[in-house]
Formats: sequence, structure tokens, C-alpha cells
Amino acid sequence: MAIVGAGIVSPLGTGLTETLHCLRNARDCVTPVTRFPVDQCRCKTAGQIPDEWLEGSAKGRRVQRLHRVSHMMICALREALESSPQFKPELTVIGTTSGGMSYGENYYRSLDRHGTARRSPTWLSNYPPQKPVLDAQEAFNISAPCQVIANACASGTNAIGHAFNCIRSGKYQRVLTGGYDAISELVFVGFDSLQAATPEKCRPFDRERSGMVLGEGAAILLLENWEGAVSRGAKIFGEIIGYGISTDNHHLTQPDPSGIGPRRAMEGALRSAGISATQVDYINAHGTATAFNDAAEAKAICELFGRVPVSSTKGMMGHSLGAAGAVEAVFCLLALQNQFLPSNINFRRPDEDVDLDIVANEARPASPRTVLSNSFGFGGTNASIVMQKTDA
Amino acid sequence: MSLCIAGMGWVTPLGSGLDSVWQRMMRGDEAIASKIAGPFETSKSYSAFRVPADALTDLPAHPRLRRASAISRFAVAAGLAALKEARLTIDRDIIDRTALVFAVANGGVSYTKRFYHDIVQAGASAASPLLFPETVFNAPASHLAAVLGLTGASYTLVADGAAGILAIRMAEDLMADERFDYCLVVGAEEADWVLCDAYSKWRLLRSEPPIEPFHKRPRGTVLSEGAGAILLARKGVIGIKKVHPGGNFFRRTAATQWTAKVLSGLDCETATVIISSANGTFIDEAERTALSQMRCKACVYSPKAALGESVGASGIWQIIVGAQALLTRQLPPLLHSSMETGINQTAAGTRADENIVLDCGMNQQIAGLRLTAKAENSSCVEG
Repeated sequence: MAIVGAGIVSPLGTGLTETLHCLRNARDCVTPVTRFPVDQCRCKTAGQIPDEWLEGSAKGRRVQRLHRVSHMMICALREALESSPQFKPELTVIGTTSGGMSYGENYYRSLDRHGTARRSPTWLSNYPPQKPVLDAQEAFNISAPCQVIANACASGTNAIGHAFNCIRSGKYQRVLTGGYDAISELVFVGFDSLQAATPEKCRPFDRERSGMVLGEGAAILLLENWEGAVSRGAKIFGEIIGYGISTDNHHLTQPDPSGIGPRRAMEGALRSAGISATQVDYINAHGTATAFNDAAEAKAICELFGRVPVSSTKGMMGHSLGAAGAVEAVFCLLALQNQFLPSNINFRRPDEDVDLDIVANEARPASPRTVLSNSFGFGGTNASIVMQKTDA
Repeated sequence: MSLCIAGMGWVTPLGSGLDSVWQRMMRGDEAIASKIAGPFETSKSYSAFRVPADALTDLPAHPRLRRASAISRFAVAAGLAALKEARLTIDRDIIDRTALVFAVANGGVSYTKRFYHDIVQAGASAASPLLFPETVFNAPASHLAAVLGLTGASYTLVADGAAGILAIRMAEDLMADERFDYCLVVGAEEADWVLCDAYSKWRLLRSEPPIEPFHKRPRGTVLSEGAGAILLARKGVIGIKKVHPGGNFFRRTAATQWTAKVLSGLDCETATVIISSANGTFIDEAERTALSQMRCKACVYSPKAALGESVGASGIWQIIVGAQALLTRQLPPLLHSSMETGINQTAAGTRADENIVLDCGMNQQIAGLRLTAKAENSSCVEG
């Protein structure tokens, strides 16, 4: 399955070039939260995209009313289509968790303060999760049917994986896929209330990890069946070669400590790719830096892969929830194209219970050919994809 | 590829139980609306069709359901009913061969509102860690998977009123992979004041029932709640002959054009019954005009006057109505629709053996599918 286009906007920057620069330099792009009050929260930081990065993403009076996450999607899709302008998707599969949530918050706060909300039609019509996807499609005159997947934090990887399966089955030739999410007060406070968010730095897989920070972003991949892409002479960025999905019924918010859920997803992805664990050169871990997630994921990785280089890139930009899987797939693509391993920043001391080869604090020069990316979410959803460098 | 319906279940404002709700619809019963009060002193109250408490009496005492929201309970009840009707037990042999697709539009709105209301009123320190996990879109799917013991593929699909058919399409995509023998598709929604207020602000809601489908001047819809579930398999007595992938209309004025495109893709001229999504809003005019443009002579029925507009669940309810019409060769009367609508609304007996289900959502999405009666438990796999 050929990746014939990619686009991204995240706290690391807009576009593949800026993103690559930040990844190579292991930049910490987590900043104090300014969008809503956090004085009563434990955590006060997040990976955020400045609004000025999104200015001019699209033009027109209607466009000004769109939620900022629609602008993120438009930015990401524009970049993806620039590398493959002939790409006409038959299907769009996008992951998200919360759509234009902050517009819902505006509406509710306005009701509380004023009893009504003059701008409510604008807020409400731009709130549904499918709206940013349709806005991005409309901006580029695309009208493919949309499947918007909301599998919590695994949404982005599930979207890419499902898109991959749709093409592999022969039912579709070209699928537009990815994920998006924007930071919002409700979600931020929610994770804070669970004490899953940290007041300190996000330190995935560190012995003293104390939780996650949130992030935001949008990333798009254009997938095409290999023969079609080659026959039309498309630039091929890389390949998706496998996908695995599993459901862990242990708890709504906590993984089974045995790591069985992540393990089954990774095993499924390897099986789907037709490769063995020894052929994987790098794992971009879900690695939220919460005690339970990292322990379960590390256990599953150790059991299945032994010592393979692992990093979580969430220390650099936070956890962008429904976007995370797509954002991290683009990170993996950049790693494959530019032959390095992205780093796991803020790492100090390894967890004594697991023996992982953490790509600590600095990007590592390497020659990865095959990488695996994990995403796990509330509700026990687990997803893994396998990506490969292309020689074409 | 086409698939079969092996089992169906629903939880509706007219109760639960496939046959009992159907019989009530055939009698011309309609749900009774109740008022939902708002969270603020100045809040206007709204009418909505709620699920009666006795509709959930068969729900198992599972630990996951202790604190679960109404939408999760509806989803679990409908899902279990569909499996029961299909006489299918999720055991070790089929656990990895069964996928779950959960369709939703608005999700766990009640808990979301309660969670955010506390933040608005008292600040972030008042936020409840018990409520937050139930606000995520895939919480109902997670509970349903836990109750059934499913450990494989599970997807929550978010869309507008077209969610039900888009979920069937997604299930069809999943079952293109021969590793799956079954896919349980569940659509659910819960009614809440905040949803009613939002749809009212969109000028899509009317203050009191009835819903009047195809009225010349759309008077608005009334929201409802519940769930519908369909077990898809490779054998069964109702076939899903074709699922149109649908599309998106960027302006309401383009809804007619897209509806016509979907009807054309489903060969509407040869269908005898169309299960419409008409709900008293702009959708009705889009469907009526498209049906006229396509010279479609089929008898048209919308269940929404009887069951209300449940958005995420409505599409699955419509498919169940379409399947019941094929199985019983009957169609309920189209309620509150005058004969001047230009719509063929011949009720009761029908010789239909192929029906179209049409879902035009209120937020730009549209899809449709074609159902067909099969010989007893015959295969639906083509090619």
C-alpha cells in the first residue's frame, strides 16, 4: 500500500519540513495552556498550535466561522494534496475524539451566563466531529463518503488501519485517511480529574513518569494501491504493510496490566504484514507516560520484540488523542525517509521492571526499514500499524 | 459483496422486542412525548420521546453497566436482542470472527453535560473522574464489547442521521476480510435537554409532537432515544443487496441532488418500498423532490412520526423496519402525513421483495441501501 501524500500540523510546526526539523532536534514543544483557565488543574501545560499558524488556511466569509480544528485539517490536507494533486479519494477515513468541542463549551457557557447564545448556530453547526472532515473536503472540492472513527486515543491509527484494509481488500483504490483533534477545556479537565495528566514534564517510560500532557494537531495520509500509484508515476513516500486491532475488556480507562491488549494488536499487525518481530527496526510507542499504560505497553513490547529501539514522541508535543496515531504515522514516515529514530525526550531513568531500548532525549541516526506504531485508548481499543521504507 | 441480516433488536420509545414494537407500529401507535427541563432557571423545556423504563428489564447485571449512561444501556440491550434473535452465542470459536461497529451522532450527552456543568458552575476542581470516561464516544461500544466478551475489531463511527447506513457500509468493508463471519452493527442515542436546545437553535425542532413527514412547510422534528442492532452474517433471510457509499452535501440546497444520486445508485425505479428518513425538516423536501425527479413510484414510509428522530439510532431502526416489511409483507401506516404530499403512501399490505432505506442526515451526510428477501437462510455472498 503506497503512501502518495502526507500533510501535518502539530505543535512541532506546520508541514513536513518543520516537523522533521523539530523531530531531529528533539524539541520540547509543550507550553503553558492559554486557551482556558487551568488554575484549578494539576497539569498546566500542553502541546498547542498557535492560531497564527492556521491563518489563511482557507479563504471566504464562511471559512472564518469554522472551528480552528477545521483549519488544521485544511492545512494538513493541502500539504498532502500538493504532493499528489491528481489524488481523487473514493473514501475518507478519519479519526478523532472530540470534534469542535470548544464550540460546544462556548455554547454551554453562554447559556449559563446569558440564558441564550447569539452565536450558537455557528458554534453548534461547527461542533460535530464530521464537520472538520467535511470542511477540509469542501475546501478541495472532494466529496468522498466519510467514515469518522472515534475509538478514543486509538482513533488515528484505527483510521489508517481501516483505510489500509479497505484498499488491501481490493474494494477501493485510493483512500484519504488521518486524524485530528484540538485541545479543549472539557477534555483537558477530564484527564486532569483522572489524575492522568502531570504537573511536571511528560516522561514516557521513565521510572518517575507521572502522567501525560495533552496536545493537538491534524495529519493526513493519502493511501493508494501499489499498482495504481506506480502506474501513474506517483511519488511514493513509504508503505503501510500491516494493521492489527484488539479490544481489551479489563476496564473502561485502564489497560489489562498483563499487556494482552497491546500484544494482540501488535501480533495482528505483524501477521497482517507477513513479517516477524525481528524484522521491526523501531517502535513508535503509544507511551503516554501514565503509570499503567507504559507498564502494560512495555511488557508487551519486551515479550514480543525483546530489545528493539522504542520511543514515545508524546514528550515533545503531548498526546493529541484522535490525531495521535496519524501524527505519529507521519513521524514514522519521516524517520523512514530520513533514516533516524525520533527521540523520547525528558527521559532520565529507566523503569526497573522493563528492559526497553529507549531512544532517549536525542534523535538517533539509524537505518530503519520497518517500523511499528502503537495507539491505545479508553474503552480498551488497541491499534498498531506497520510501515516500511520504499526503494521506489 | 452483499451481506445478510441474521438478527435484529431494538430499544425504542415504543418499547423493546422486535415483534411487539412492530405490532404497535402496525396498529398506528406513536410514542408519547415527555418534557425535558433544562439545567438553568431560564431554560425552556422541550418535548422528546424517551425509552420507557420497562424496555430495559432484560439487561444483565454486568459490573460495566452499574454507572453506564443511558446510551450504553440502550446499546447493550439492543445488541443482546439481535444476538438472541440470531440464536448466536459469542463463544471461543467465533470471538475473533466477530466485529463490532457502533454508530452514533451525539453520544453520551447527558454525562457530558453533567460533567461540564460542574466545571462551569464550580471550576475544574469540581470535575468528576467517574463521569469523564463515560463521555467518550466509544464508551457504549466498550461496554457492549465487555458484556459480550468481544476482543477483536471494534469501531465507533460518528456521523449525522446517516450514521446507521454508513456503519453498515463500514461493516461491509470489514467483512470483505474473510476472517470475519459476523459483524454486530449497533446505533444508539440518548435524548437530553442540551441536544433539544441545540436542534432548536438550528431551527430543526418543533416544540410539541407530532412529527409531520412531508408536510409542505416543514414544522420541525422531535428528538427521541434508544438503540437498534443488526447482526450481519453471510447467511440469512434478509439480504443487504447493495449499500450506496453516499456522500456529503455542503449546502442544504444540495441535499436533493445527493438524494437523487443515492436513489439512482440503488435502482429506485424497481423498488416497491422506500423507508425514508423524513422527519419534519428540510430533509422531507429533499427526499420528495428527489423521488419525483427519479420517477420513483415506490410506496414511501418514514418511521419517525411513530418513533421520533433518534439521529444515531434512526438509521438502524429504518433498516429494521425495512427488513420487517419484507418479512411480514406489511408496512405500518405513515402517520401525520396528508395525502397532498405527492408521496405514494399506500399502507398495510405490500408485495415488496426489495426495499430501499434512505438516510439523509441533518448535518450534510447521506447514504442508502437496498434490502432483499432471500430464501430461508440462504447465502448472501456474491462473486
